[in-house]
Amino acid sequence: MNIERFFERFRDRKRKDEDLAEEIDSHLAHAQDAHAARGLPPKEARRQANLKFGNPRTTREAVWSYRSIPWLEDLWRDLRFVLRSLVKTPGFTAIAILVIAVGIGVNTAVFSVIDTVLLKPLTYPDPQSLVQLRNTFPQGSNPFASVPEFHVLSKQTGIFQQVAAYDFGGAGLNLTGGDHPLQVQGIHVTADYFSLFGAPVIAGRTFTAAEDQPNGGRVVVLSYGLWKSRFGGQSDVVGRTIQIDGQPYLIVGIIGKGFVTDPEGDLWLPFQFDLTSQSMAHYFLTAARLKPGVTIGQANAQLKLVADQFRREYPGGRGPLDGFGAISLQESMIGDTRQPLLVLLGAVGLVLLIACANVANLLLVRASVRKRELATRAALGAGRIQIIRQLLTESLALSLTGGLLGLILGFAGVRLLLAVSPPGGLPRIGEDGSAVTLDPTILLFTLGVSILTGILFGLVPAISASSPNLATTLNESGSRSGIGFRSGKLRSVLVVTEMALALVLVIGATLLIRTFMKLEAVDPGFETHNVLTMAMSISGDRFQKTSGVAQLVRDGSERLKAIPGVVDAAATCCLPLQGGFGVPFDIVGRPKGDAPSTGGAGYFDISWSYFNALKIPLLRGRTFTEQDNGAAPGVVIINETMAKKYWPNGDPLKDRLLTGVGMGPLFAEPARQIVGIVGNTTDRALDEDPGPNMYVPTAQIPDGETALNSKVAPLWWIVRTSVEPHSVVAPVSAALRDASGGLPVAHVRSMDEMVAHNTSRQRFNMLLLTVFGASALLMAAIGIYGLMAYSVQQRTQEIGVRMALGAQASSLRNMVIRQGMAPALIGVAIGIGGAFWLTRFLASFLFGVKAWDPAAFIATPLLLSAVALIAIWVPARRATRVDPIRALRFE
Amino acid sequence: MTIKKPAADIMQGTLDMLILRTLIMGPAHGHTIAEVIEHTSENALDVEQGSLYPALHRLEDRGLLSSEWGVSENNRKAKFYRLTAKGRKELAAATSRWRRMTRAIGLILGEVGGESAE
Repeated sequence: MNIERFFERFRDRKRKDEDLAEEIDSHLAHAQDAHAARGLPPKEARRQANLKFGNPRTTREAVWSYRSIPWLEDLWRDLRFVLRSLVKTPGFTAIAILVIAVGIGVNTAVFSVIDTVLLKPLTYPDPQSLVQLRNTFPQGSNPFASVPEFHVLSKQTGIFQQVAAYDFGGAGLNLTGGDHPLQVQGIHVTADYFSLFGAPVIAGRTFTAAEDQPNGGRVVVLSYGLWKSRFGGQSDVVGRTIQIDGQPYLIVGIIGKGFVTDPEGDLWLPFQFDLTSQSMAHYFLTAARLKPGVTIGQANAQLKLVADQFRREYPGGRGPLDGFGAISLQESMIGDTRQPLLVLLGAVGLVLLIACANVANLLLVRASVRKRELATRAALGAGRIQIIRQLLTESLALSLTGGLLGLILGFAGVRLLLAVSPPGGLPRIGEDGSAVTLDPTILLFTLGVSILTGILFGLVPAISASSPNLATTLNESGSRSGIGFRSGKLRSVLVVTEMALALVLVIGATLLIRTFMKLEAVDPGFETHNVLTMAMSISGDRFQKTSGVAQLVRDGSERLKAIPGVVDAAATCCLPLQGGFGVPFDIVGRPKGDAPSTGGAGYFDISWSYFNALKIPLLRGRTFTEQDNGAAPGVVIINETMAKKYWPNGDPLKDRLLTGVGMGPLFAEPARQIVGIVGNTTDRALDEDPGPNMYVPTAQIPDGETALNSKVAPLWWIVRTSVEPHSVVAPVSAALRDASGGLPVAHVRSMDEMVAHNTSRQRFNMLLLTVFGASALLMAAIGIYGLMAYSVQQRTQEIGVRMALGAQASSLRNMVIRQGMAPALIGVAIGIGGAFWLTRFLASFLFGVKAWDPAAFIATPLLLSAVALIAIWVPARRATRVDPIRALRFE
Repeated sequence: MTIKKPAADIMQGTLDMLILRTLIMGPAHGHTIAEVIEHTSENALDVEQGSLYPALHRLEDRGLLSSEWGVSENNRKAKFYRLTAKGRKELAAATSRWRRMTRAIGLILGEVGGESAE
């Protein structure tokens, strides 16, 4: 059917109707003529004609309704009516819309994060076939790979189309040459990386296989961002050279704007792996594209065999139970963030339910006020369905308006929150949450939730209000047409629900607040105040040998200590709270048993003043001195956990350690004497128990290790100050630039900031759940207040009679309180049960607090009961102020 | 307000066809069409004449008919309906559909007509 013709039908309805009326008149006239011709008198002829024709009105209505879309017109009529009546009660409308906006807003906020992190597919072509390869151990798995592992995995052409290795650019690089050196993120990749991820090349090319071999030349591919910022987007950049750490690199290509890496990279360099390497250092990631038709399950089955192949090619390289695994790249990026997000979604779902209960309550009150109006409409012939439809239109108008407001609030709120208090470790959200964008999925979600909400809170009041009880309602006098028994009971049920849900949320929030307080109270094992830290990329040639780094550390420390306000300074590979490398070790003279080494521990190379600068206590023996240099005998210091774990009875200071066992020739070195035991520090997260750690002097590590370190991690400087740490940033940066021959520093942060960052995820969760809990509590309080205030108002007359008969004000007040507290306490009781069951999902986010934490389960119900009491107190007092004379005259 | 649908509604397609068939003789106004249908069917199809008009307007909207006001044989103002080319085609199609259907029904009735469906 032709569209124009279709709409023709709905056009000019009024004119067409008049036309039809005229046509009918004409028909009747002709019919009358015909009857008259048969000899009937004019009156009878007219009667016969009318009889034969039927009701002209019916005909016109039939044509009219054929020319209309009935439900649309009914809707439009209902909507106009609803808008008029909503505008007439602005107070009700504003509160209802606000409550819905909060309920839907928090849902939109959490969903937009979930959409970005969990749901959106990766931006690479055919993302389903991309997998992250992992090393599996009997205890778990990790994504880090070594060169031999990459070598073996990249040969598995039966499983993978392509395999690529890449690092996170953790060490950083220095763009030198020009006036201001710039520290950038340079990601090392193998040649197949770009085609694996479908990187769009907008100029030049990516690395050739030859360029990705040892001594393949100094070549670099630029990101779109760096090309724009450093080169102003000039078109002739390809073929030019840039200075990276003092060396010229040939720019071979530029990658387009849409290519997203996490974390972002400024430029790419070829890894240039020596595939004959025996080094078991794990310092990069591998991803692969599955061959068409190969599933992840099949790939994992095949990889079991690959582990055996690996053990044959590199005897002793992996333990007998270790293996390889593949998980989808998206899963790998999402990591362990799924559960916290789903818990948050559950929490906002509860907030929305409370909002619904609240608005349903408001609508019930409104419906009881409008009882006469509705009854009148019913008496005039409106069907029950029509009244329900009209009331539902009203609730949908409210929920859609609230939803629109909620969308704006929620989206603006989540962007603000992600920018102000970014949760550490939430992947894929971009810088300050910039990847969280308003897309059709979110709009659809909010629309769906709004409609569902409108039906949820509108249906029960609508059905209850539409129950046909015309006679009694119309006979009741206007002011007294109060809350019926049924809707009163319904409202109590809603209050019970609100209280129960609010209690669950507040208990959840309490548990997270307690967790956060416990985390704040954790002793990280060192003094965090007045410490400034910063990173220096030392990827230049000068720092490929240990002696070069040792020289830099000596010079730098000296210059730093000369700055006024600086108390002490040190350098290290790895800061506390960030963690070191895991390195296996042997205790000389001890049998190894089945294991390839005696044990494994965190491995920190540090300068001699590290413990002093961080104020880590020395428990036994001595700390390092400047004399523990490359020429001196090897020494190592261990932490308390390591001493207790491996020397439960013996004396560690009598033993020697062989570190880097089985990690290949780069790490081979003579055994080190244990010279001291220091206190534990928190190395990863505050909620994890400190593991065993070994500390060695930076000046004493093997050259191969130094070279590798310079690729994978920056050198960290630690400055203890007697003044506010950020006040010395300028002189400290200048001193380090001088000491290093012009290298910049980056990631300048105080240790207190690092601690805050370390707990940012817990803080994020706690903040959100506290906001949700507080809004739930507020809504529940409003709900219970509304119920009692209305009930007191409706019973003014009854209360007046009671007073006139001599009831005490206090007993009246207690009566109201009793009646109000009953649903509140029932709600609290149900809430305790619900929380007891639901908080188990929070268990993995808790630290130092049990999911059934007695404090939370006692204090929170008391708090809620107190809030309920206050909410009831106000109407209860009002009841005692009723003037009996006026109340009786109220009629 | 919903209107009870007339039972004759199932005959809608049939009524459309009859209207088109009537107009093949030339333009006519509503009253004439009603009379013709009734007389030629020997008064078997005795419907309320009012129900003719929704059908006429529907057919006009579908482009099967066109209409214009004119003066009738009684010297009265009347709206005359005329078959369009599209209407002619539709009549041919509807007629052959109808023939096929009645033939099919006839076959079925002829075959199983004697036996009870019970």
